[in-house]
Amino acid sequence: MTAQALRIDQESQRGASITLNHVTRSFGALRVLEGIDLTIEPGSFVAIVGQSGSGKSTLLRIIAGLDADHGGSVTIEKDDQPAIARIMYQEPRLLPWATVIGNVAMGLGPQVESRTALTRARRALDEVGLGDRAADWPAILSGGQKQRVALARALVSKPDLLVLDEPLGALDALTRIGMQSLLEQVWRDEGFTALLVTHDVSEALTLADRIVLIEDGRIALDLDVPFARPRRRGSVQFGALEEKLLSTLLKSSPRNEEYVI
Amino acid sequence: MNTLALRQTKAKFKPTKDKVVKDIVVPGPFASLKRFVPLLVPLAILSFWQAASSGGALSSTILPAPLDVARAFLRLLLSGELAENAAISFLRAISGLLVGGTIAFSLGLSNGLSRLSAQATDTTIQMIRNIPNLALIPLVILWFGIGEGAKLFLVSLGVFFPIYINTFHGIRTVDPQLLEMARSYGYRGFSLFWHVILPGALPSIFVGLRYALGIMWLTLIVAETIAAQSGLGYMAMSAREFMQTDVVVLAILIYASLGKVADLLVRLFESLTLSWHPAYAKGVRV
Repeated sequence: MTAQALRIDQESQRGASITLNHVTRSFGALRVLEGIDLTIEPGSFVAIVGQSGSGKSTLLRIIAGLDADHGGSVTIEKDDQPAIARIMYQEPRLLPWATVIGNVAMGLGPQVESRTALTRARRALDEVGLGDRAADWPAILSGGQKQRVALARALVSKPDLLVLDEPLGALDALTRIGMQSLLEQVWRDEGFTALLVTHDVSEALTLADRIVLIEDGRIALDLDVPFARPRRRGSVQFGALEEKLLSTLLKSSPRNEEYVI
Repeated sequence: MNTLALRQTKAKFKPTKDKVVKDIVVPGPFASLKRFVPLLVPLAILSFWQAASSGGALSSTILPAPLDVARAFLRLLLSGELAENAAISFLRAISGLLVGGTIAFSLGLSNGLSRLSAQATDTTIQMIRNIPNLALIPLVILWFGIGEGAKLFLVSLGVFFPIYINTFHGIRTVDPQLLEMARSYGYRGFSLFWHVILPGALPSIFVGLRYALGIMWLTLIVAETIAAQSGLGYMAMSAREFMQTDVVVLAILIYASLGKVADLLVRLFESLTLSWHPAYAKGVRV
């Protein structure tokens, strides 16, 4: 195999692998993560679900590199090289003083020469279906459009890992379904590893290959989701798995007796 | 009949339907008159004032008639005295703004960006801020005499605080979520400052600048009326000695218009740099 062919071959196998080795995190006396061991395959779509306060967002921030004050080790690599990780937040976090395309180009970092950056940003915007809004200010976009710009900004640098911190949490139900299929589509096209934190079990079942349930700083459940894509909600197996996850989630809730099927 | 003809001509030139409807709903003549609404109150006051002076109800030693002020304006304009004094005052104001503003902006930046710098200097600055700068006039005259140095010092000191405080505040209140986002995309140091911190602080910095412009004129005029041999304040004070009330009022009016011109310049600058901001977007501001 020639060197070039090898590179192309590696290019096609995008996606970073994640290895967590006994990751802990405390805030003062409060221990939020009690030693998480987790291995995530390159190119997979993993959802982390849990109640609020379960430590799932803390875990996500550690994986995304936003929190360095943790115990244990986190390794994110692609072909034994450090991988590019991008995060998409619950809020779009667009710069209000930059145009839509300027915001997307920002995703390439400060070093990239501006003409190249704009060409690539234009392509990423087309990918999320907002090519015609390139020159607009973010202030005039809807909530769903802003999140799509944020997605384009995360995708423009061709990340190996995309970390999603409940990015659809603030959207209305219809926009949310549209965004879920957009996420699934770009994940299949680009082949990056996706890590989604959500408290919405059915969203996790729609998108993920594997669901990790975090409870009191520990992994309480680790399930594979075997359904074929694109998935239809409301099928019997879908419902059964959703039921299993929800009952595990609610068992730890102090008000579980109120949950009646 | 006439309206119909108008509607038809408009329809010919405006291709989209809703634009035509809008044009008919808001008739042209009234729309252009609306621009003069802010002038109505000043014009009414002027006419009342002129009527009171001409009728003899208002003595010219208390307040000269507007027409007398206009005549004084022409006289001083033709003699060149007005232009000379206005130019001197303007130069003093701008140099004070530049010196004080530059120091204030740099200190605001360094204290906003560095906690150490803020700890070292902010308390001292807040202490000095509580001294009215005009209270320093006797001391300043002892230090600098009544030369240009005294005025430059007072104006610089006056504009310093609003610019410093608003720059500092603007930088400290840049959205931390945006900062975290930009850092995660590799923005550090100057690129973080240029793309995120400075644009985020800019609206606040402009508030400081506009406030500083008001203080700039106030300080300069007081300084010129107390200790100067040229400038608009000096012109007004020497006119007082000769009971030339028309010149005194003229000087006051010129201050007002200079203040307005400075404010317009800042607004122009704002609309150029803050066009992203919904509050400064085109068409929102009157």
